[in-house]
Amino acid sequence: MTNTRTTPPREAPPGPRPAAGRRRGALRTYWPHYLAISPFYVLFLVFGLVPVLFSLYLAFQHWDGIGDMQFVGLRNFEFLVKDSTFWLSLYNTFVIWIMSTIPMLFLALVLAVLLNSSVRFTSFYRIAYFIPNVTSLVAIAIVFGAVFSTNQGLINAILGWLHIGAVPWLSNEWTIKLVIAWLITWQWTGYNAILYLAGLQAIPTEMYEAAKIDGAGPVQTFFRITIPQLRPIILFTVVVSTINGMQTFTEPQVLFGGNASINPNSGGPGQAGLTAILYFYREAFSNNDYGYGAAIAWAVFLVILLFTAINWRIVQRRDKGAA
Amino acid sequence: MELSRRRLLQVALFSAGSAALAACGSGSGSDAKELTLWYWPAGLSDKVVADAVKHFTQTKLKPSVIGGDFKQKLVTTLTGRRFVPDITGVKGEDIASLLVQADRFIDLNTLGADKLASQFVEWKWKQGSTKDGKLIGFPIDIGPTAMYYRPADFEKAGLPSKPEDVAAAMSTWDDYYAAGVKMKQANTGASMVMDIPTIFQMVIGQGTKRFIDENGKFIGDQDHIRNAWDLAIKPIQLGIAAPQAGEQDQFTAASRGKSPSLFGAAWRGQDLKNALPDDTGKWRVAAMPGGPSNYGGSFLALPKECRNPQLAFQIITWLLSPENQARGFTDAALFPSSPAAYTLPALTAPDPYFGGQKTVEVFGDAAQKIPVSYEAPSDAAVSAPFFDEVLSVWAKGKNPDTAWTDAVSKAKEIAERQGVN
Repeated sequence: MTNTRTTPPREAPPGPRPAAGRRRGALRTYWPHYLAISPFYVLFLVFGLVPVLFSLYLAFQHWDGIGDMQFVGLRNFEFLVKDSTFWLSLYNTFVIWIMSTIPMLFLALVLAVLLNSSVRFTSFYRIAYFIPNVTSLVAIAIVFGAVFSTNQGLINAILGWLHIGAVPWLSNEWTIKLVIAWLITWQWTGYNAILYLAGLQAIPTEMYEAAKIDGAGPVQTFFRITIPQLRPIILFTVVVSTINGMQTFTEPQVLFGGNASINPNSGGPGQAGLTAILYFYREAFSNNDYGYGAAIAWAVFLVILLFTAINWRIVQRRDKGAA
Repeated sequence: MELSRRRLLQVALFSAGSAALAACGSGSGSDAKELTLWYWPAGLSDKVVADAVKHFTQTKLKPSVIGGDFKQKLVTTLTGRRFVPDITGVKGEDIASLLVQADRFIDLNTLGADKLASQFVEWKWKQGSTKDGKLIGFPIDIGPTAMYYRPADFEKAGLPSKPEDVAAAMSTWDDYYAAGVKMKQANTGASMVMDIPTIFQMVIGQGTKRFIDENGKFIGDQDHIRNAWDLAIKPIQLGIAAPQAGEQDQFTAASRGKSPSLFGAAWRGQDLKNALPDDTGKWRVAAMPGGPSNYGGSFLALPKECRNPQLAFQIITWLLSPENQARGFTDAALFPSSPAAYTLPALTAPDPYFGGQKTVEVFGDAAQKIPVSYEAPSDAAVSAPFFDEVLSVWAKGKNPDTAWTDAVSKAKEIAERQGVN
């Protein structure tokens, strides 16, 4: 880009510009700017938008991935409504989401308050708590699989020393969900703690001083000042956890033999780890039913949309209440 | 290899993105003077492939080891019709879904493969052929199955321990279960049966019918599947099955003498050696109750886009000559699909892990007795509920009759979705 005529004209007025000729002139003037921001849009278009729209198209087709597509109308969605495995996978997703989000956000808040009051090694703790979030999920899942293994896992070894019998963590339908939820909690607590910490540091110290003068104890201060002040951040973390939680996939896939040649991606005993996205992956990529897989993916999208709408309503009501 | 490969693949997933990009790059040249070859880790002997690169000087053979979900990457290039490999591996579990796309591959019989048919085990050749006789997949390896067992634990329970005695005493599933009951009564703390879904799969493989017949009709609710189901459930009811656990856990339990027998293909021995390296000499191999079946194995195929089919076919036949198949057995535990290899030293050598047993005597014999069965492209999808439910019976103690009813109705639902009647 050796073009030096990149300075925008001084009299670039905001607002509508009806003349097409002038608009083209603007494009001619501003093209380096558009070029500069284009990589994101081009990549998004090719790897984001086109596949998304194609999957919508696919949801109305029967396709094995190689041969000819066959238009089937709403048939995939009709199957979906009747498909007990799909509802089971949604149920699993919700249970794992609840089992992971509540302890995760609670722990994150506690950690953030502790970090906020600690004077020494603050950066060290922040990095330490954030590292799980940037560690490869596959690696974590393999490690968790080993830690929770029945005969040779660390957890059962500890239980053995305490003379408590071994727990078949990855065989029981509730402990399967618990292990997946722990994995998610372990990975995301630090991330949320950092967000809460940022929120805590933005609360003016005057408020705490005023509360102290008014005779509020630490517990009262926490619930009357800290929590209300953190509300926007808490809502943000809830929204992000919802979106992530609805898309839980890698954890059960790695824990329960995603690459087995017989019945891959089954979600483990009782299909207890079969999340909605894992079910979508299984139908599309293991069972070569790409149309049905796309239909599942869009159904999950609708569920996330619903949750986002609920979150949004809550935020709005809170804002109105505050006003 | 399917199972042992898993660990490799999990690690390979870290670099899945870059691997995919590398894979795309490898086939990009429009230069007909090179041929690309795709296979997965341990899908072929790397040494044999390296020798092939040196041997075929008339072209530049470019092998790529593709990590991650191999079939998915192959399907993607086949559908995109760009960067399609000239020669590609096809896993045994994927061949049925690719046979219906026969027009996307070269019929190897047109290149002279039909003359070589007699050198390979017949059922494998049929597995790689379409209904109208086109050969799409050229056999790499096969997965003849057998029983892996621990003679010391058998002896402790008063059971025979020599491979030929075990095979004779446990030639049917009922005999095997009777031995399991005897083991239970001997109170050694061992449960005879390590894994339930495997038995379900093995019994189906011992028959000639699967879940869908050649006319595309769902037959998963018929007696042959019900029989396999009942045989798989029986050890749970007899109380001779080990508790459900993951693969690594099962191996650990076995090494502690808690579940002394398992069923697997020839490549399963490699999994054992990797998982329990200290168990050298503690395992043996005997013929499987009820006869052999096949588990796994793979093929080489030439997509339609292959730039030099004649030469590519020569490369395939060279890579899979009996001598090189024997090397594949040594390097990557690929059991040869060509019986001529069974008499070569690489296979007849005593295996110290199995107490100096010549395992080829069991596997080679099994390889030639495996029944031919038709596998429909949606067979795996339709069979999934049966595996899910048999696992539920085992892990959760679900009522077997309820589980069977649930499996059948779920399988019918999937069959309808997949366009099977």
